Amino acid sequence: MQTFVSVRPNPLDRAETGSERMTSITINVNGRNWTGDVADTSTPLLWVLRDRVGATGTKYGCGIEVCSACVILADGTLTKTCTENVANFIDKKLVTIEGLADMPPAGSSGVTGKMLQEMWVESQVPQCGYCQSGMLLAVYALLRSKPRPSDADIDQAISNICACGTYPRVRDAIKTLTGQAIAA
Amino acid sequence: MNEMSGFPLKPAPFVTTEEPAQPKADNFKLNRRSFLKASIAAGGGLMLDISLPRASLASKPGEDASFAAGKATLVIGADDSITLIVPGGEMGQGINSALAQIIAEELPLDFTRIRTVPAPYGAQYGTGLQASQVTGGSSGVRGYFDYMLDAGATARSMLVAAAIQKGGDPNTLRAVAGFTDPDSGTWTPNLVRDDAGNSWSYGELATEAASTNPTTSRMSDPDAYKVIGTRMIRPDIREKVNGSAVFGLDVQLPGMKFAAVKHAPALGAKVSTMGAAPAGTLAVNLDTAVAVVAADSWAARKALNALTVTWTSLSYAQQSLVDTATQTGSLNSLLSSTTSAVAEAKPAGTSAATVLSAINSQPRKLNLTYSFPMLAHACMEVLNCTVEPLYAPDGVTVSAINVWCPTQAPDWVVNTVTALLPALPRDKISVTTTLMGGGLGRKIEQDYVAQAVRVALFAKAPVKLMWWREEDFARDFFRPAAVSKIQVGLDANGSIQGWYNRIAAPSVMRSHGFVSPTASYSSFVDSIAVGSAVGNGDEPMPYANAMTRRVVDYVEQKTGFSLGFWRSVGQSISCFAVESAIDECARLLGRDPYDYRLSLLAGNDTMKALLEDVAQLSSWKSAAPPGTARGMALSPGFGSSAAMVAEVTRVASGSTTNYKVSRIFCSVDCGFAVNPDQVVAQIQGGILQGMSSARWGRMQFDHGVAQVKNFSDYRLGRMADTPIITVRIVNQGSPLGGIGEVGVPPVAPAIANAYAALTGTRKRNLPLGI
Ligand code: FES
Ligand code: FES
Repeated sequence: MQTFVSVRPNPLDRAETGSERMTSITINVNGRNWTGDVADTSTPLLWVLRDRVGATGTKYGCGIEVCSACVILADGTLTKTCTENVANFIDKKLVTIEGLADMPPAGSSGVTGKMLQEMWVESQVPQCGYCQSGMLLAVYALLRSKPRPSDADIDQAISNICACGTYPRVRDAIKTLTGQAIAA
Repeated sequence: MNEMSGFPLKPAPFVTTEEPAQPKADNFKLNRRSFLKASIAAGGGLMLDISLPRASLASKPGEDASFAAGKATLVIGADDSITLIVPGGEMGQGINSALAQIIAEELPLDFTRIRTVPAPYGAQYGTGLQASQVTGGSSGVRGYFDYMLDAGATARSMLVAAAIQKGGDPNTLRAVAGFTDPDSGTWTPNLVRDDAGNSWSYGELATEAASTNPTTSRMSDPDAYKVIGTRMIRPDIREKVNGSAVFGLDVQLPGMKFAAVKHAPALGAKVSTMGAAPAGTLAVNLDTAVAVVAADSWAARKALNALTVTWTSLSYAQQSLVDTATQTGSLNSLLSSTTSAVAEAKPAGTSAATVLSAINSQPRKLNLTYSFPMLAHACMEVLNCTVEPLYAPDGVTVSAINVWCPTQAPDWVVNTVTALLPALPRDKISVTTTLMGGGLGRKIEQDYVAQAVRVALFAKAPVKLMWWREEDFARDFFRPAAVSKIQVGLDANGSIQGWYNRIAAPSVMRSHGFVSPTASYSSFVDSIAVGSAVGNGDEPMPYANAMTRRVVDYVEQKTGFSLGFWRSVGQSISCFAVESAIDECARLLGRDPYDYRLSLLAGNDTMKALLEDVAQLSSWKSAAPPGTARGMALSPGFGSSAAMVAEVTRVASGSTTNYKVSRIFCSVDCGFAVNPDQVVAQIQGGILQGMSSARWGRMQFDHGVAQVKNFSDYRLGRMADTPIITVRIVNQGSPLGGIGEVGVPPVAPAIANAYAALTGTRKRNLPLGI
């Protein structure tokens, strides 16, 4: 599995002015350690993942924690990454969309990351696809706590914004995966 | 499967030079030599260039409307790969796979192994294109249908010809699609084989095929397509579930820098002074905005916030033009303007005065005013563009520009670069269209592209420029605000004896140069602004025949807001006004809104059939569930039409009463559906966008300052707001229609009509706020 699109040094990080103090940090993303120098440890994790690690599957939508485009699993907890400092994630195991395929069954649902992805293809859930990284991780997290989520559970847990309106397909795919009937 | 954005479109005229086009799509005879060109692909294989007609964009004055739109290219690799290079932008509507699906009807293909890539703009893809390679107006699939069928047929005949040269039996040779054995996982490639036991994979034949003479024509039977019309898995889905899909914002180049943009707080203001860039960054004055270039997106944003900028201030008059309250007042006053442009009069020559006096002499009259706010596009992916300038050995002269951009108009991007670098030959400009996280009409505009080019030239480095969400909202090209006043006179039988509709709105057409700048404000009718309010346009008002006298006129407003194409464009306004007014007539008469509409649809069999279908689908004639009422609306179109029923349910929570949209039913006719599942997906998406904007959508400015900053101020529906949606495709044999837009317009009136039925209260102003 290719986890990272690229891991590369960033030219402007090399304190071109000499005035920036660089801090070396290590984060664990999808089971691999990434180490790099950052000028600013208050940078939200999202931008370290996207611009430095090169894991661009995690998306920017709002930057103020209202859309869930940027969610990942941090030590298993669904977490927004667009405001929280990278420094807070240094000891955590991070799973992004690039690592979903390797995820074991979510709780007692029996649904693995791979099964979730296959169901998304089979049900043709994505349209533009931009929100789907966050959507898939949110669904994985839901299935771990509610192996057979009710409509109300789904309404409550899936608060991601999808401007394309894939919600009906997301709901139906969850129901199918968990052996529940789909509303006609 | 079609686009999600709006253009002032006409149904795509197929460009045939030697034979006249037949009205039925299936019967087109194309001159193959004029639009197909075969050659040997780099690395071996068959490359078939398919010249496509210009998209159906209305011409700007002085623009040549006759040139071809560019090329799609089918590449059958010697390695058995199949690649389709497509000209239309992929915004999630599945156009790429729909085009591949059409080819596969004639050329059997393993659909799971087709790669579709967007056409880069560059020398290869037709320098000299203008407003043509533009994805919009739902024109994508329907414009290319016949070209793709013939391309598939030609490629097949060339492969067979190559097989004959290799000793195959001409009488029994046939092409068969490849497949993967589900148990072993082994792949059998696409093959040409005969009954004598010979077989060659497409790849083995492809290079030789390139120099054969295609002779055969289509084998597919339009009445019994085997591939077209079936549910196909879009090949672009897989990369969208594992994070590998590359949207514009995901482009990464070696040595790339990141730029953030801040526009003037007031729309129309400019940079007055700009301080020094924070250490380690570059600051660029972009006239109406400033940009900062830094090591990563966050560093750019921080530095931008630290940068000292002063802005020019707007005069009082300028402020009024970009102030929602003032502009709303001006729209309302235009309702009584004595100067207007007549959009339609029936009988011809009827004046407003005549129709008004006819209305006034009727026993029942209605005088209704509907109002519409500005709307934002709110695509999930913010605007962004990556530009790499290359320099001649002198280090100063720009030798080439490479652009990666989520754009609906790659050839407009080339124009944008050329305007900034007139000395750079067009063939030194390459544009790669990335995936788009929503296009919706916003991504045809060029403002963010021009900024990215300027910033990259300033930085002399590859730069990815991005607008943060706040900028994306504040500097959108908005669906204009509008008011629509409808006066109706009904006789004792309920017949519409007089109908007068005045629409006041600014002109999107004028703002985009689709009319001469000197076109008179008193005679120019913006066809986008009137939309389906008239009976003679591409989206004809369905009840027009039933109206004895009618006049529709338009008063153009001058505004300072930037206006744009928003999904379904004018119909997002006209459909609400017309369908609400018809509903109000039915209620005034005490008639069932369905029966009343049927009575007005004499002679409009297409809409009538759709209305009957949706009534049946929604059990209109049976009682609605408790606390629930239904409302309906029709959305007419030239190529696609829809009929919709919404159910609104009262939800008591504590002492307050809320309302939810519990179900939506839609019967849609888009002619022949290439991939029915994607038609349903597009309608679902259109309905949900229509619902969000109907209930909550509103963009406001206070003296030039945007009042919407983020999704927290601009509500989009979420899972919990989503009704159960039932879509039924009804093919009545009309020409292939676009599908990205038709689902949007009827949602607002269907909900408002249901709300009125439930509560007795009529909402005439959008958003409904329920
Ligand atoms: S980008 Fe983090 S919640 Fe929207
Ligand atoms: S699939 Fe486009 S935003 Fe969700």
